[in-house]
Amino acid sequence: MRITCPFCGERELGEFTYLGDAKPQRPSADAGEDAVYDYVYLRDNIAGVMSEHWYHGGGCRAWLKVTRNTLTHEISAVEAAAGAGAAKVGA
Amino acid sequence: MAEFSWDVRSPLERALIAGPYGAQGDSGVALTEIRNFDLVQVMARRGKAGEMIAAAKARFGVAAPETPKAIGTSDASLIWSGPDQFLVLSKGGKHSIEALAPVFAGSASLSDQSHARALISVSGDKARAMLAKLSSIDLHSDVFGVGAAAATSMDHTSVTLWRGADRNGQAVFNLLVFATFAESLWHTILDSTAEYGVTIGHSEEF
Repeated sequence: MRITCPFCGERELGEFTYLGDAKPQRPSADAGEDAVYDYVYLRDNIAGVMSEHWYHGGGCRAWLKVTRNTLTHEISAVEAAAGAGAAKVGA
Repeated sequence: MAEFSWDVRSPLERALIAGPYGAQGDSGVALTEIRNFDLVQVMARRGKAGEMIAAAKARFGVAAPETPKAIGTSDASLIWSGPDQFLVLSKGGKHSIEALAPVFAGSASLSDQSHARALISVSGDKARAMLAKLSSIDLHSDVFGVGAAAATSMDHTSVTLWRGADRNGQAVFNLLVFATFAESLWHTILDSTAEYGVTIGHSEEF
């Protein structure tokens, strides 16, 4: 499997580290215990297209959001995660 | 209070033995460690990438690299190291962290890496063949021309790789590696290069 880093170009899998599902969003401070439990512990085990966080630690050290089919490993989109190229975020 | 006496030494001092190595005859690869350089990491602060690039242009006369490439000026190289960040490689203190601090005040954070990396220059007609064993990226001239750069991994070790100006009509590849990983990578390079014959040396000149 190869991932096309938006900053570096196409690179081998060994340069990347998998974090997991990119969907969960941190609940607001008053969201309640169940929402926080869900955010911290509960994950969907998706057979199909999934949005994931990957870290390009062996390269430019940017966090990426990768859209991948977990059945075929086909990658349909790669974009910089929020915070990658921090200088542009919130500019 | 204890008095410290710092003895500045190359991280490759033990591993590097100058002279020929590997196959006899004409060496296909020249391996040269460059010592005694100034290296500063420049990283834009939040929302300040534009200001950082403008500050670099005012200082060096060229825009800072925004894509993986290395830009040479008369007395420094600006090497892309990731989004909104680059390295300034120079010697003689002209672009040391003390000299650059006022240039990037407010736009970027600086970190002195002068003694944190080893710099290895690889040339010779088998240089690319040797590097192909270590790197998964395409180093062919059509793709990785003079001035191309990459933040990548070799032998599971992060390196900054870029192609300098050709020397005697041959490509020159430069490698920056973390000092504590330098000896390990050096031995891997020697293993890869032995079949071609290699001339090992060190220099204070880029």
